[in-house]
Amino acid sequence: MVPSVADAAEPRLELNTWAVLRALIRLSATLELQYPANFFASMFGTLFWLTMAVLTVALFYSHTTHLGGWSFWETVALLGVFNALVGVVEGVFRPGIGSLAEQIRHGSFDLVLTRPVDAQLYLTFRELDLWRIADFVLGLSLAGYAMHKLGRPLDAAHALAFFITFASAIAVLYSVWLALMCLAFWLVAIENLPTVFDALFEAARYPASAYPKALRLVFVYLLPVAWTTTIPASALVGRLSMLGVVESVGVGCAALLVSRLVWRAALRRYTSAGG
Amino acid sequence: MSHAITAQDLSKHYRVKVRDPGLRGALYALVSPRYRDVTAVDRLSFQIEHGEIVAFLGPNGAGKTTTLKMLTGLLYPTAGTVTVAGCNPWTGGSAFKSRITLVLGNKQQLLWDLPPEETFRLNKAIYGIPTEVYEAQRTELVDLLGLGPLLDTPARQLSLGERMKCELAAALLHRPTILMLDEPTLGLDVTAQDAIRRFLLDYRARHNATMLLTSHYMADITALASRVLMIDRGRLLFDGSLNALVARTTPLKRIELTLAEGATPEQIARFGEIHHFEFPHATIDVPRDEATRASARILMSGAVVDVSIQDPPIEDAIRLAFAEAANTERPPAPPLVPLVPRP
Repeated sequence: MVPSVADAAEPRLELNTWAVLRALIRLSATLELQYPANFFASMFGTLFWLTMAVLTVALFYSHTTHLGGWSFWETVALLGVFNALVGVVEGVFRPGIGSLAEQIRHGSFDLVLTRPVDAQLYLTFRELDLWRIADFVLGLSLAGYAMHKLGRPLDAAHALAFFITFASAIAVLYSVWLALMCLAFWLVAIENLPTVFDALFEAARYPASAYPKALRLVFVYLLPVAWTTTIPASALVGRLSMLGVVESVGVGCAALLVSRLVWRAALRRYTSAGG
Repeated sequence: MSHAITAQDLSKHYRVKVRDPGLRGALYALVSPRYRDVTAVDRLSFQIEHGEIVAFLGPNGAGKTTTLKMLTGLLYPTAGTVTVAGCNPWTGGSAFKSRITLVLGNKQQLLWDLPPEETFRLNKAIYGIPTEVYEAQRTELVDLLGLGPLLDTPARQLSLGERMKCELAAALLHRPTILMLDEPTLGLDVTAQDAIRRFLLDYRARHNATMLLTSHYMADITALASRVLMIDRGRLLFDGSLNALVARTTPLKRIELTLAEGATPEQIARFGEIHHFEFPHATIDVPRDEATRASARILMSGAVVDVSIQDPPIEDAIRLAFAEAANTERPPAPPLVPLVPRP
């Protein structure tokens, strides 16, 4: 049957961000479930890494009782937060936006841009390494255990403060990662950019106050490392004021905004140059 | 009704960094970069009607892909205007993107480790296709392309031809009315190429879709395109039917002869210019519009037992057209055939 011209008109389209998000997450789950061994590999890797990290911190504390004003179990709680964020970086950021340079080089980015979907959103969730949820869960479990050792059960107010500052931390990390990856639009070879990010993020493994003052100022104001682990961990152990929580929300929102502007500038450059 | 695609004085200039060879050149370029302007597309103007299939012809670097990218909104032009499916590609947003599709023969959108069905479902979400429309369109595409047995096989296990069919299905689920096809049959065997061509013609018939196509396979162009846009170094050299292009560039036709016993070159030379003579075969060139009459006369003369009129390969016609254009003084390079404004 040959449809009439009226039938040939395009179907009515209802563009739905949530539907795309759901579809992408479902796809990643479908893909990852094919390789369940990855879950155990990820689990054992994380357990090993966490043990080593705790032992290193214990080594520090065998010489001192406080690191930048933080006690042993407070630092372990921070380590747990750090590891939970590692899970987000490895599970979401690296496979998603991390593939940007490759997609630009291979030209598949063009196909993304011709579809009615926000390219940033699509790239962010295009591929997820869902088994890295092990890092996330084990990290938060370690933080919980440290809280137990500190003898500070988490009340609702602290839990909420932690949840908010942790979300801001993810926003900050995401923004730094996105802005760095956007450099792919200007520079051709960017293999070293993830290394820059890793080096920076590595600094978040210890409380910001443990660093010399100059470096501390850099981590707070210039490279927002302090906002990624120190602030949420402070909220968890009850070191953060209400103002700190509000500030972290401000920093998170500002970071997202700036990175979105960088993204748009990058896209403008891509479409005006290219070839 | 407005045109499906309109381009008016479309131009694209790039600034490219130039540097001298060697380490010295590299250092110098770092300190004081120099730039050169490259014109990729130079004042292209054309209109394409709804339901037309138009092929872009041109050597590598002619500006075909740059033009396609401007028409799909991937590149901003330096100058000129474009309207595709009633939209400006750069401001048309989702409405524009939902009316077009871009298929790149050397790039894929299929999810590599998953069956094509998963890509289809993702596109359903991306284009927000209502379930009943999706089911109808999916059924149609699966039937037309014969995808049934392929749908649950991971894309990486499909052959190139099977994968291209699935690519096309994924790109057409939202029922676009404008198809930009960049080398859609690249690397496919003859059977698969033929299947893709038949499908595209069928899709056009069903949906009155407009197609803009680039291909290095002449068979794609002859089977699909009713019209060609020939571009070289960013300029439009020819806009018209393939037959008109061939007639314009190759005014001669070649006649293959099977000679009768005792036929001599002198006898044969009376009918046309001898290209090759080796008993019992010979070929002669005659003016295109005299070919039929000449063959009749040769047969009557008794010097031959069989004749067959050959069209020169289209590749030759196109090669000649580009050679002719290259010899033309530039600028201003006049088109080979006056560009008649289309109705």
